[in-house]
Amino acid sequence: MATISTQLRNFKEPNKEELNRFFFSLPPEEVHANGADTDHANEKEKAFSGTEKMDINAVLSLGEQGLEDSYAGKLHLLPPYLSFASVDRKSVRFTIPLCTIRRVERLNTRTGVFALSLAVWHGMKIVIQLTALRPTADLFCTLLRDALKAQLQQGQMKAMKNFVRTCYSEALLSSPSATVAENDKVDPDANAGALAEGNNPVGEGDGFHGGLGLKFKFPGDPKKLREASKIKLWTTYLRSHGRNLSLLRYPQFTRLVQVGLPNRLRGEIWETLSGSMYLRFANPGLYRKLLEDNKNITSASIDDIEKDLHRSLPEYSAYQTEEGISTLRRVLTAYSFKNPELGYCQAMNILAAAILIYLSEEQAFWLLDVLCDRLLPGYYSPSMHGTLLDQRVFESLVHKCLPMIHEHFHTVDVQLSVASLPWFLSLYINSMPMIFAFRIVDCFFCMGPKVLFQVGLAILKINGEALLEVQDDGGFISLMRDYFASLGDSAHPHSTDPRTRAITRFQELLLVSFREFSVITDETIQAERRKFRTDVISSIEVFSKRAAVRSLKRHGRFNKDQLGLVYDALFKAICVIPAETQSIPPPNLLDPDKTTEQKQETRIGLRTFRVFLSEIATWGRNEKIVSNGFQERVDREVAEHEFIDRLYYFWDTSCLGTLSFQDLVDGLDGVMFNDLMDNIEWFFNLHDKDKDGSLTKDEVLVLSESLLFIFRYEVGDAYLGAVSRFMTNAFEYGDALLPQETNEDGSLKSPTVGNNQPYLNLATFRMVVLADEILESFFETDLSASFRLEPVVDVPLTPSSSGLLGGLLSNIVTDGNKRLFNRVTDEIGKTIGKHQVTHRPSIGRQMILQEPKARESLLTPSMRRSSSKSSLSITETSSPGATNIPSTPSSLTLRSQADISSSELSPLPHVKAATAALMERTPFAIDDAGDDDDDDDDFPEHEGEPDDQVMDEVDAFLEAHDSGLSEAEKKLAEDVAKAPPIK
Amino acid sequence: MAAEAASGNVDKSVQVKLVLLGEAAVGKSSIVLRFVSNDFQANKEPTIGAAFLTQKCRLEDRVLRYEIWDTAGQERFHSLAPMYYRNAQAAVVVYDVTKAASLEKAKSWVKELQRQANPNIVIALAGNKVDLVTPSSSAAPPTPSPDGDDEPDDATATPGETPSAVAEVESLRQVPRDEAQAYATEAGLLFFETSAKTGEGVVEVFTEIAKKIPIEHILASTRGSGRNGGPPGRPGGQQSGVNLDANATQAKNACNC
Repeated sequence: MATISTQLRNFKEPNKEELNRFFFSLPPEEVHANGADTDHANEKEKAFSGTEKMDINAVLSLGEQGLEDSYAGKLHLLPPYLSFASVDRKSVRFTIPLCTIRRVERLNTRTGVFALSLAVWHGMKIVIQLTALRPTADLFCTLLRDALKAQLQQGQMKAMKNFVRTCYSEALLSSPSATVAENDKVDPDANAGALAEGNNPVGEGDGFHGGLGLKFKFPGDPKKLREASKIKLWTTYLRSHGRNLSLLRYPQFTRLVQVGLPNRLRGEIWETLSGSMYLRFANPGLYRKLLEDNKNITSASIDDIEKDLHRSLPEYSAYQTEEGISTLRRVLTAYSFKNPELGYCQAMNILAAAILIYLSEEQAFWLLDVLCDRLLPGYYSPSMHGTLLDQRVFESLVHKCLPMIHEHFHTVDVQLSVASLPWFLSLYINSMPMIFAFRIVDCFFCMGPKVLFQVGLAILKINGEALLEVQDDGGFISLMRDYFASLGDSAHPHSTDPRTRAITRFQELLLVSFREFSVITDETIQAERRKFRTDVISSIEVFSKRAAVRSLKRHGRFNKDQLGLVYDALFKAICVIPAETQSIPPPNLLDPDKTTEQKQETRIGLRTFRVFLSEIATWGRNEKIVSNGFQERVDREVAEHEFIDRLYYFWDTSCLGTLSFQDLVDGLDGVMFNDLMDNIEWFFNLHDKDKDGSLTKDEVLVLSESLLFIFRYEVGDAYLGAVSRFMTNAFEYGDALLPQETNEDGSLKSPTVGNNQPYLNLATFRMVVLADEILESFFETDLSASFRLEPVVDVPLTPSSSGLLGGLLSNIVTDGNKRLFNRVTDEIGKTIGKHQVTHRPSIGRQMILQEPKARESLLTPSMRRSSSKSSLSITETSSPGATNIPSTPSSLTLRSQADISSSELSPLPHVKAATAALMERTPFAIDDAGDDDDDDDDFPEHEGEPDDQVMDEVDAFLEAHDSGLSEAEKKLAEDVAKAPPIK
Repeated sequence: MAAEAASGNVDKSVQVKLVLLGEAAVGKSSIVLRFVSNDFQANKEPTIGAAFLTQKCRLEDRVLRYEIWDTAGQERFHSLAPMYYRNAQAAVVVYDVTKAASLEKAKSWVKELQRQANPNIVIALAGNKVDLVTPSSSAAPPTPSPDGDDEPDDATATPGETPSAVAEVESLRQVPRDEAQAYATEAGLLFFETSAKTGEGVVEVFTEIAKKIPIEHILASTRGSGRNGGPPGRPGGQQSGVNLDANATQAKNACNC
């Protein structure tokens, strides 16, 4: 039953380029087949023109005059995308697929400035002034041209035309007036699209994609949500700033998102912001194909999904119908097929159900993919490490930002996660009324995962005073529940000013989130995650170890610590060579319940087993003791021998071709506690392939080889002699015990027996073994003692703070360093003549060469037809165990890990500053008079049109947007934008 | 009835933290719902991490206020469970009488609780969904039930698993009552067979637990420690030595897992 996952060890901190792609919501780069060999891959990549990346300093202006300021920033060519971010990384940014660009012109500027005009397919013009040196700008242009050409050749321009038709914004903008949804009438086109969508997952219909909301109504009152005004504002914005694939994000965009997206556009904007739209564009038909290809497949995930389908936003009308349920089912199962390792985790049903209100199946599928993969990393994985990690990070942020609450919770032993876990796991959708949760989700997609933390902190801060009265987990939960239920109420019910009274508690929450906790940045979260990752991973591993040991059905004669050591060795082996992935469930037709259970069990293959055995059995490894005058170290290699394979199959009692933790425990139990007779029998059975109670001649030879393998590094000839004597004796006895046939002439006919015939039975084997002192002592103690449960020291644990490198990678690097160091010292050692390599023996009992003395034969003279070839025999010289070399693992690994973990534990400057700033404030003073004044500033007295009122709320979040340009530069940028193209 | 919410004196009530554990879809949430609102619902709110509910329960002259933590059953939420069962004075470990594997999972939960949780925790084992296997709760002879089992909502919260109307209801049973009872006795657990759908046995689970809980101790420790009744059952063994049964269980099982 135990699942042993080393997945967490494989975590790699994202590098700069990956972070950049993350920032621009780009899909992860395709992994090259020979990904390990990056140099090679890069060369290949370069050979293929049109894929090379480059960034360049640039100033962005919109072609249309006076609409937006110009912004300085950086332009990134990341084929097949072009991205831009302003200097402050938040005011302005865009990511557009190259295929949306119709025309690129070099502008004729009087100042000799290098400027390009990019015309997007729907006519929008972007003017980009490349502010780098001329050769750099030229190079950029060349690369851009190549990349555009490549796109044209791949037919992407054409595909794009079809794709944008699936976007609501196109329908919105193409309608004669911008009032398509003014009154939120259901427009027949949209409905047709939605219907085709719902009933038929295969055809998404001709119209734009839309969610269940089109048919089953969107949550909330459209009047109260000011849908019509919002749509109007958005129409204006989209007309001038591009839409869907080619949407530009200017400060106004963020403001529009913060007041809440209009229902009909919500899905599409989510798609653009999260970048799931690029995935949907790049993988047309994949969703349908996944469903089609796996039509008749069942899995544990599908069972789990089925259980939760009716428990996903059951209050929403669509999920009371079969149409809604089957839509949800298809999206969740398709995702479980795409990512079988993650499969399905409770809470994903809530997420999927929520986004399906606004998105079509295919859209929702890709958004779910981005959520699980990128935005909420590791949240839903089998170990849920991302969830645990972010809970830890949240706790730490509470500690820093709201020390009083943290302190109080600590005193009364209340655990923050009991309430906050579902907040993060379901993006607040399961905690607050839907209309509010969706606005948080809007901000989450727009501003990133830090929003979850900011909102969480704001919730605690707003309820600060009440929280200090909480005495237990239950009280905490109840308080939070009451608070969420009151989000629609006025935050200042007793204010005399009607405008102040109109501010809801939800608005207050957003205000506090984004104003007071703006210090929480993506970098803060990144750094905090780095800090706690190792802790979280090791506690998960300790937990699964405990669970694995607990779920063992048989412990044998091991105590719990010993079982833990067996587990450690197994875990390390799986780290080195991953366990078998079981695509085909074991044939267990009789009991379907058992089948699903066994599917979860981690089973290892032969290669992993070899590593495991090398940890436990002294003869399972080749150990070279190298001394070169500088150091003495033990180089360990995993041994390979038929004997080990034999043991592997011997322990596979259920004949599945793989071994489980239980099999290993049973197997070890079968040998580690044996006495002389047990061991002899065990060794005999191990080599008795057909289990008929006797060995064939071949098997006797194989057995001897096994002995030789075990003794391969023993000092001196004693063991060699013992084995050779064993063979002689075995054949002598075997022959002697064969039924004698007498020839007619009375002479004895030498018996003939085939190599595959039964030849030597256990009793005889025992006799032969006991005839030899060395073998006797081997079977008496040494065999069992050669299995040693010792703490596995060098399991590579992800160094949390290694910055760029983590997990196995860093392990390889440190291994590499170690190897290099070893090689260098070896070379020096050789030159000074101090280099020495000796093999460490597996038994290590006979350390001194001695002339062994013969033991009296048990054979009667009559049976003894041939005298033993070997006259060698030995005396035991050493007391048992005294000369065993203790297995000292190389200390180097330890040291290098320690170096890494101590090297980077830098405090977080942001959080420190935040804490300092907050300490100066009266805690939890949001409701006092001073803040009322603030709010008045944020919501200025202003009798404007309703559209303006919509924006009132957002003024609160308004921050100065720095264009990063001086006045003169602005003027220049304006001029450039007006410049005609070079003829 | 014991499960009726006591409208009376809040000060007199004793707070008891109770946690529900068990495999997914054995009916944990349904049992709680039955106990808390005497209701059965096929579609319920999903349990993310754990749902939190409270219910008062009268026992002689005492009123117990159960704080119930209904945990998520999916295997991957297992590592979160300690968060919910820490400081719990009682636990109900639920399995499904029609699924043998669910009893195995229940046993491992019991092991874990006995090792990791509050040492004096009162554990009840509940075999749910008996309505699917027999018309009455006691170890009745397997008579085919003429009614009931073809209703659209069965005792499981799991739509789609509804067994078709079958005559031989007893054949659905995979866990014999005797076997589970024997295990419960051996492990020192309270044992019940329940049906969240019909309500059979549900209230008994909570009243029997209430009888076994060392109330005096909880009262003693909460008296004067705060207006909300104080933190129940802090680790630190303020209840040690009261519940002999639980202690015996503890000793017996401490070593074998």
